[in-house]
Amino acid sequence: MARFVARRLLGMVAVLFAVSVLTFLIFNVIPNSEPAQRMAGKNATPRLVASITEEWGFDQSLPQQYATMMKKIFTGDVISYEGRENVDARIAEGVPATFSLCIGAAVIWMFFGILFGYLSAVRAGGMLDRTLTIVAVAGISMPVFWLAAIFLNYLTYKLELFPSGGYVEFTESPLDWANHLILPWVTMAIVYVGVYSRVLRSNMLDAMGEDYVRTARAKGLGERRVMTRHVLRNSLIPIVTLFGLDFGSLLGGAIVVEAIFSLNGIGQYAYESLINTDLPPIMAIVLFGAFFVVLFNTLVDIAYAWLDPRIRLGTEAR
Amino acid sequence: MASEVSAAVTPSHTGESPWRLGWRRLRGNRVALAFGGLFVLIVAFTLAAPLWAGNVAHTGPNETHTLEKVEVGGEEREVVNPSGKPVGPLWLGAGGKFFLGADGRLGRDEMVRLMYGGRTSLLIGFAATLITTLLATLLGLLAGYFRGWTDTVIARAMDVVWAYPVTLLAIALGLSLAVGGLQLGPFALSGSSIWIPILIIGVVYVPYMARPIRGEVLALREKEFVEAAEAQGAGPLRIMFGELLPNLYSTLIVFFTLGVANSMLLESMLSFLGVGVQAPNTSWGTMIGSGFELITSAPLLTVIPGTMLLLTVLSVNILGDGLRDALDPKSKLRFEVRSGLSAAEIDEGVVP
Amino acid sequence: MRKQGLALLTLFLVAGSALGIAACGSGSSSEEGGTLTGSFASFPDYLDPGLSYTQEGWTAMYDTYLPLLTYKRANGEEGGQVVPGLAESMPEISNGGKTYKLTLRDGLKYSDGTPVKASDFKSTMERLFKINSPGSFFYETIVGAEEFAETKQGGISGIETDDATGEITIELTGPRGTFSNELGMLFAAVLPSGTPAKNLTADPPPATGPYVITKSEPGRGWSYERNPQWAKANGDQIEGVGDGHFDKVEIKVVRNDATQVNEIENDKTMWMQTLVPADQREKIVNKYEGTQFRVDHPINVYYFWMNNEKAPFDDVKVRQAVNYAIDPEALERIYAGSLTAAHQILPAGMPGHEDLNLYPHDMAKAKQVFKEANPADTEITVWTDNESPNSDAGAYYQDVLNELGFNAKLKTINADNYFTIIGNETTPDLDTGWSDWFEDYPNPNNFFQPLLAGESIAPTNNTNFSRTDIKELNEKITRLAGEPLGPNQEAEYAEMDKAYMEEAVWAPYGSNTTSTFVDSEIDLDKVIFNPTFGHSLTSFELK
Repeated sequence: MARFVARRLLGMVAVLFAVSVLTFLIFNVIPNSEPAQRMAGKNATPRLVASITEEWGFDQSLPQQYATMMKKIFTGDVISYEGRENVDARIAEGVPATFSLCIGAAVIWMFFGILFGYLSAVRAGGMLDRTLTIVAVAGISMPVFWLAAIFLNYLTYKLELFPSGGYVEFTESPLDWANHLILPWVTMAIVYVGVYSRVLRSNMLDAMGEDYVRTARAKGLGERRVMTRHVLRNSLIPIVTLFGLDFGSLLGGAIVVEAIFSLNGIGQYAYESLINTDLPPIMAIVLFGAFFVVLFNTLVDIAYAWLDPRIRLGTEAR
Repeated sequence: MASEVSAAVTPSHTGESPWRLGWRRLRGNRVALAFGGLFVLIVAFTLAAPLWAGNVAHTGPNETHTLEKVEVGGEEREVVNPSGKPVGPLWLGAGGKFFLGADGRLGRDEMVRLMYGGRTSLLIGFAATLITTLLATLLGLLAGYFRGWTDTVIARAMDVVWAYPVTLLAIALGLSLAVGGLQLGPFALSGSSIWIPILIIGVVYVPYMARPIRGEVLALREKEFVEAAEAQGAGPLRIMFGELLPNLYSTLIVFFTLGVANSMLLESMLSFLGVGVQAPNTSWGTMIGSGFELITSAPLLTVIPGTMLLLTVLSVNILGDGLRDALDPKSKLRFEVRSGLSAAEIDEGVVP
Repeated sequence: MRKQGLALLTLFLVAGSALGIAACGSGSSSEEGGTLTGSFASFPDYLDPGLSYTQEGWTAMYDTYLPLLTYKRANGEEGGQVVPGLAESMPEISNGGKTYKLTLRDGLKYSDGTPVKASDFKSTMERLFKINSPGSFFYETIVGAEEFAETKQGGISGIETDDATGEITIELTGPRGTFSNELGMLFAAVLPSGTPAKNLTADPPPATGPYVITKSEPGRGWSYERNPQWAKANGDQIEGVGDGHFDKVEIKVVRNDATQVNEIENDKTMWMQTLVPADQREKIVNKYEGTQFRVDHPINVYYFWMNNEKAPFDDVKVRQAVNYAIDPEALERIYAGSLTAAHQILPAGMPGHEDLNLYPHDMAKAKQVFKEANPADTEITVWTDNESPNSDAGAYYQDVLNELGFNAKLKTINADNYFTIIGNETTPDLDTGWSDWFEDYPNPNNFFQPLLAGESIAPTNNTNFSRTDIKELNEKITRLAGEPLGPNQEAEYAEMDKAYMEEAVWAPYGSNTTSTFVDSEIDLDKVIFNPTFGHSLTSFELK
């Protein structure tokens, strides 16, 4: 087990390294995106451009520039090209908003995803099942930014049901914090509920045909008990796996949702940095995001290996 | 809906090919058929673009009409008023011109753009998914069959692309390539070529498809027919493409439809952000993007392309679901492309 | 001396009068207190006067950091007047325009209480070069500046200061008619000697003006409070800079301009610095014009440049055809009414501007001239950035060129990279495209020199996109650059404008306006918009 964990962690580091190199290459391949020229501004003289180039080390070799940037990111020293501000500090400031958004939305969609999936599976084939399925599929069929724009226009501007944007710290006012996040949460949740409810539904349907369920029923356990304690529980495992793997696209959704609702989180910072082709923040944010994706997946893998379903099933059905 | 259908059909048709069986099941699934029909209608709609543009609207998708006027029921209306507000849907009031109104301050015909934009969106969706499927199948076969080193290298490479938050990677690539285009040896693509978003989306989704395929190949590989083929002296290519691949077809078909859905959505996000489809091409994503700027005064310009996209992706998704149920009703492959584990793997407790 | 006497007299009067009457600083009405709330669509590029080069930054720091000279807080052309700031009076110019002498006022203090010294000016100028400021360009003709820029050692020899008398003497390498304007830019705002040579946006340096920045959260917002030293030391002496009516100012960044409008309409925010979004303009104008909404005029020109060096735009007739083909009325609609049509280099409001329209829109005539010119090469690339409505203007321009007879392709570039790319001569197919130019200060040289002088053509960071190089006019630009701006010079600049337009070097199409949109509590008429610096925070007051 320990060797497995060690190997996984090592793999994590290797992946992050590769991700950072990939980002660095992508942005150094862009033609005519000379940061020194951009920083020099409207009335740049060649001397000014040369001075900036020297100050920022753009004349160094690519591997050297890469090494310097990575070092600065980890020591908290990295400065962005646009606005020359400390990237790590800015990311740290954006964390509360982004985490509030992502975790809140995740809680909502997990809850409804599991609820809908459970109801659909239990009443498979019926009216409820069909309706929930179509609703779920509709959710995952719409672009998240479009939904955000529609909500913003109709619910906020026209009907004024919600505040029009901005993030309020939880410590300042929990009620206000939630009020500003409801619309962003719902926007993100709608899109993902469908994924989870359908997976849960199909897993439960599969599980319902399994031997251990027949055994449980034969033993005389009530249908409700069979469904919740046996079928549901075991169908949840792949859901957890799924969640980790979805983290990547979750961040993508966060980018546009934060930008549209002006939440000033990491997603919005990523959006602005991308628009400005500002490499230092992009690099830092990509690493930050990739880190969580990889970390979560690694933890899930480890937990999975530890919770071998066969063994659990064996003990439960007794 | 699926279990109901499968329960009814399974018993008395042993001996028919699985494709025949699948088709029959699909035919019984009325919801899937309905949405399949909707999808065909939408495709026909977009294909009719040149007809509409030439004969009804009398304008192309990129022609501007800022200072022009149209005659509606005897009176003249400006396409774009002096404050920059575009005219709303005229329906058939001007003989079909500006059926859905003008698209903004440039006064372009929204209906014509919707049709041409749809072509681009659909084309990108299909072409990108085709690329994803080809690459993923190849990589999945190689990794699953050869295992060992090949598998490790491929799996790690997939991991890297996977770990990179999909959207960020796509945006980064889109940004980078939109400026200068792409040069791969003799092939040069300009920054505004439609192939750039196609390639980006195609490549970015490869790990999502390659993983499950690899998992399935790993499982299939242990079956007797492979052993038999190996014993008969069949080489690896023969086995991969002759024996393993045919068993993947139903999986691939399902993944393909889901892939089209995801690709279309990703393209729309990239175009919305300005790093996908570039002018002069137009797609539903770019239309939502430009409509968003006018959202308070002309919300329809955002609602309409978004709804078209929603209906299209919805149809593809439901069709995909139907296909999945039809081709493998008791299939344990009933999960998203993204889960990365085949049913066989879950059963065996294999870790991804 | 005179000032001290006046202060004593005032003190006397105050002592003699009843309790509770507060003596105020120069000119403005009583301090009302309270907090002004405002929103910007983006955080300024820098909250560091030595680095900021955008309207947002200049607006944010206009009433916080004062240079030796400053611009009058006034609307329109009056706001273009350079008046004494931290200096006692306008500079004494001698030695054929090469020597500038100023005296720092007595008793000035920074917001942290330290006194302002003459030598602080020298270190401020040196700091500009140390931090590689984009504004350092304006001060390179100070003797010793270029050497200092290279070595960053030894100080700038051309600036001499005397802390005891407050005298500052600046030697230039040649006469520079725009130098007084440049002394009034924020780049020259005096900062304490020890100010670190790095970007101080997150922790801005101490202020000399009425407001001091107390909190800065890059990306999200920033706040001001009254500078205590303004009331105590600086405010009395400096005329033309208001004291400010609010005690505090809180600005937040709201990216979405429709959201900003929403907040103003609901009286949740008092002021939005951003131009109202195009799709709501009509509604806002109809509902709030005169009461909460007003159009303001920064000095700028929007134009399509054409590459004068290469076919097909090396032929003046082709360029004239393009000028005839463009319809400013269509462009006004594309800018949703915020654009004012123009047909010349110098915008209205700039000294030296005299209305010109050599090529009134006439598509038929345009086609005829085009046919006469009969260019061989009609395959051209049109460049534009991706921000609306400039991107739309580019699309319109492409359409017009195609109608004229060209085969034009549109290339859209990310706004952040745009000027670097079209300013780089290695970029292929730089035929024609969109551009704009906002004044750095109200002196016509600021338009002609960078945009049309032959010597400004540079391999990278080029600003003369049309690559115009007319020898006679180049010489005129250089000559006029050395002369301080007077009526003769203005007349000559007007002639130069006409000469360039006769050559149709560009197809200018207009001047963009901006807006002041405030909530129902703010007195719209009192808000001052300086054409160079934007809104003056001290001018905001409640009704």
